Amino acid sequence: MNEINQAAGSMDVREPCLIKLQLFEGPLDLLLHLIKKNEVDIYDIPIAVITEQYIEYLELMKDMNLQVVGEYLVIAAELSLIKSRMLLPKPVVEQEEEDPRAELVRRLIEYQRYKDAATGLSDRDILGRDVFKRDFDSTAYEVEEEVELVPVDLWALIETFREFYQRRSHLWAEDIVFEVEGVTVEEKIADVMEILKEKRALKFEELFDDCNSKFDLVITFLALLELARTENVLVAQESPDSPILISYSGENSLGIL
Amino acid sequence: MESSDIMKAIECIIFVSDQPVSVDKLQQVFTELERSDIRKHLKEMIEEWAALDRGILLEEVAGGFQFRTDPAYGEYVTNYNKKIKKFRLSRAALEVLAIIAYKQPVTRVEVESIRGVDSSGVINALLERRILEIKGRKEVIGRPFLYGTTTEFLEVFGLKSLKDLPTLKEIDEISKNLEPGISDLSEQLSEQ
Repeated sequence: MNEINQAAGSMDVREPCLIKLQLFEGPLDLLLHLIKKNEVDIYDIPIAVITEQYIEYLELMKDMNLQVVGEYLVIAAELSLIKSRMLLPKPVVEQEEEDPRAELVRRLIEYQRYKDAATGLSDRDILGRDVFKRDFDSTAYEVEEEVELVPVDLWALIETFREFYQRRSHLWAEDIVFEVEGVTVEEKIADVMEILKEKRALKFEELFDDCNSKFDLVITFLALLELARTENVLVAQESPDSPILISYSGENSLGIL
Repeated sequence: MESSDIMKAIECIIFVSDQPVSVDKLQQVFTELERSDIRKHLKEMIEEWAALDRGILLEEVAGGFQFRTDPAYGEYVTNYNKKIKKFRLSRAALEVLAIIAYKQPVTRVEVESIRGVDSSGVINALLERRILEIKGRKEVIGRPFLYGTTTEFLEVFGLKSLKDLPTLKEIDEISKNLEPGISDLSEQLSEQ
């Protein structure tokens, strides 16, 4: 842990970590993902299991030096509160008690409705993407601040990394503190691009072949996220169960680093 | 003026315009015509263009009429002009747009309470891009801005008007699946 913290600390000095949680759509998105992943009924959420997994994700984000913003913590607190309420014996009062989960479920359902609506919008023929009109000014169609879409769901990517990270965890001793070798995300990005330019495509696991410390692993993953965001690589898979592939898609907009 | 001449003239106007041409605008040109006549001509023109089966379509969007390429060939347009950076909207932007489109006028805080996440950056980007606009202020403490969608939003998504938006999944449809234990939830939902 020390090693990571130290690494993270020194990284902060040299370059503020570019990848913030803005990449993710928020805590409700994460909860919906967990509900879907566990194949549980949204109207009967097993709070204990979901809370545990939710907190695991937050831990992982912390390990990756992602800034866990307040919104995620608010929902974490809410989950814990619901969990404890569910454990309490029902008070012997005449009036009907509301399920402690009801408010959260209401929010999740409402959010899901708008997520569906957003998909509906995206499925339309969008001007400047699918259809064109005369004399359009292409630069006018760019939205800054945007986060690019990748064919692999971001959560699925993180999930894969989490499993991979755990599988590898026996490879290093927790208590050994290495000197930070000074590999930055920037340098790692250059390395990854070099490999991809040559090989054109890699399996997700192959990307981490040379990694022999937690720090390496995390830095490489951050580099991948950044490259996916800037569309220098394409992260895709054939189906949800097939291996994740990373392919080279061009040398664009590296300048933003 | 012959009917066919009128249609050809309308066609010219739409062709040179970079914005959807409304019936009102056309009526300012063809003062001798009633709006209903213009509408009738436009309807006929749309049918004719569709029947021609060409790569260009005449479509009704954002309260007007516009020539647009057939979506089936969009890829060739971008291949031809590599400089075209495809218009992309992030998931965050789409979510914010969906919420604002359906609930407008709406404040930032209301959007954020649905998404559970800060949305100011996305809203600002969409304002800058003129897909969103400020519609006024809400008369509550702090008088926050109320946001809504623009004509450009309709144009980008190929909608005739806001009424053209597909209906949100009905609340009833959702609440009928509710467990008996939290059935009072449906009441809460329908109150909103």
